[in-house]
Amino acid sequence: VLSPHLPPLSPQADDGDEDFSLSPTLPRSQVQRSLERRSQDQVNQKVSELVQFLLVKDQKKIPIKRADILKKVIREYRDVYSEIVNQAGRTLQQVFGLQLVEIDTRQHIYILTSTIPRTEGENLRRDNQTAKLGLLMVILSFIFMKGNSVKDGAVWEFLRRLRIQPGDRHEVFGDVKKLVTEEFVRQKYLEITPIPLTDPPEFKYQWGPRAAKETSKMDVLRFVAKMQGKDPMYWVSQYNEAKTTL
Amino acid sequence: MSGSSSGDGFASASGSSSSERGRASLPSTSRNGAVPQRRLQGRSPGSADRDMEETDTEGEQPQRLEGGEGDERSRRIIRNQYRELIYSVQQNREDMLSSKSDRLTEALEEANKLFSGVSSAREAALDAQFLVLASNLGKEKANELHSDMTTFDSLVFAEDLLTFMGINRIEVEENDSDSESISGYLPSDAWHKLGEETEKYFRRAPSFHYMLGSFKSDPPVPRQRIERQKKATGTEEKRAMPAQLKKMEESHQEATEKEVERILGLLQTHFQNDPSTPISFFDLVIDPNSFARTVENIFHVSFIIRDGFARIKLDEDKLPIIEPSEDNEEREDGRSAGARNQVVLSLNYKDWKEIVETYEITEPMISPPCHRNEDEMEID
Repeated sequence: VLSPHLPPLSPQADDGDEDFSLSPTLPRSQVQRSLERRSQDQVNQKVSELVQFLLVKDQKKIPIKRADILKKVIREYRDVYSEIVNQAGRTLQQVFGLQLVEIDTRQHIYILTSTIPRTEGENLRRDNQTAKLGLLMVILSFIFMKGNSVKDGAVWEFLRRLRIQPGDRHEVFGDVKKLVTEEFVRQKYLEITPIPLTDPPEFKYQWGPRAAKETSKMDVLRFVAKMQGKDPMYWVSQYNEAKTTL
Repeated sequence: MSGSSSGDGFASASGSSSSERGRASLPSTSRNGAVPQRRLQGRSPGSADRDMEETDTEGEQPQRLEGGEGDERSRRIIRNQYRELIYSVQQNREDMLSSKSDRLTEALEEANKLFSGVSSAREAALDAQFLVLASNLGKEKANELHSDMTTFDSLVFAEDLLTFMGINRIEVEENDSDSESISGYLPSDAWHKLGEETEKYFRRAPSFHYMLGSFKSDPPVPRQRIERQKKATGTEEKRAMPAQLKKMEESHQEATEKEVERILGLLQTHFQNDPSTPISFFDLVIDPNSFARTVENIFHVSFIIRDGFARIKLDEDKLPIIEPSEDNEEREDGRSAGARNQVVLSLNYKDWKEIVETYEITEPMISPPCHRNEDEMEID
């Protein structure tokens, strides 16, 4: 059985692009020692399983927790976890043009983002996911343009103008309230936090970590500018802010 | 003041406040104002003429005043008006915040007018509640101001989005303050259109989809498909099984034995007829009509060889021939020798065709077993 050779990477080599070199001078880390105990086939098998797992898990855009990866894929390969994740990240990058991004380094939560820019007319399919993305963009734009934090009442009033009533069933989005306050939040596009000492309770809406990875303040500003037929620099403070977070 | 200026901007959202005004609709459980009296200072010039003394004794008022019933009614009206005002401000935040609008000022003025009729703490508390709201809005408004000259106007943004989504504005309303009220209808693909546009601004990993479409489940879960495929093959196997099983049950072990015996019989008859000349192995096993039968014959003959009833060897042309074993002793030897010598014979469809042509075999030497359904086995 032929198996592609396993490059002995140091665990911190996560910048996907480096050449696979079999340099014998690398420091013998613990991971490497562990790798020697595992056969290359076994590790490669785990890497493929992880790639598949990540691709499937990403379908619902719910971030993937390390705990799940360990439980469902890695199992008894914990000792070479970092190596498996690095290799899976590289495969995703090289084969699928996707980047494995850790959006929470404390709890180790991952998402996949695309590294290949979308171009005009590339979209082959238009479905409710597309529509949801439109709604999401509108909310993200509103939050950013209003200074990165907006009260729930303001968001819903704005959406009402776009014929979205939180209480009614929307013909495309169904339960919009649920979509915005649960789905977008679970997917880490939005963060909704209660404002202390408010009665009735009020909430503030902010960008979630996925929003910051999948889009950017500048992209959002460009979108707003396009919709309004203006130059992004028209909104000076937002433009300056977007520029500094590029 | 009157409700006309602030209340009815969004007829559908807030309900016209003016229509309700003056109707004392709230049941009141009048409890005497136990609210600590904090006077709110300096909110607008209009409030300067109200001061602490005025409210000092208000806790006693309902009892002391003559015609307490009428007073109770007017208090209810005031409370109702405050609630209307607060509700309308909450519902029209954006409008209040808009740099072009004086709504916030108007609302404050209205509150001032209301306050002139306030005599007890309960109404004053509502006034305070309104003031908290108004000052929050004021703060937000101030926040937006220092973003230089151009503030973000969400009302205009919303209108631009609607335009992009292809709104059909049937009724072109007058360009006054009521123009933002909800009118016109969006085509059913409005959000899809917007979504398609926004995709360009996202580095979102595309999700799987099927070129020939999928079930209406959103988003398609690939796991489901795998399960479905498994199930499909599972049932197919089940469906195919009964036919196969029938055959195997009645034939498998026994039929092989019977077939071997039958071929051995054929072979022995042949040797008896002509004991000196060995038979070409291919002549024996090849069935010119069926590759499958040929393979089967080879399989069966291999038992005869294994058990030492016949031998295979190569003739002077290095072609395999089959000849009978001499006697029982040698058969025992042959058996043990056979255990040591194993031959793997490869024969593919092409080989078979070539052999049929080269040996000019037209008739199978081993006739197909009679109980077999020939159609099943025949290749052509």
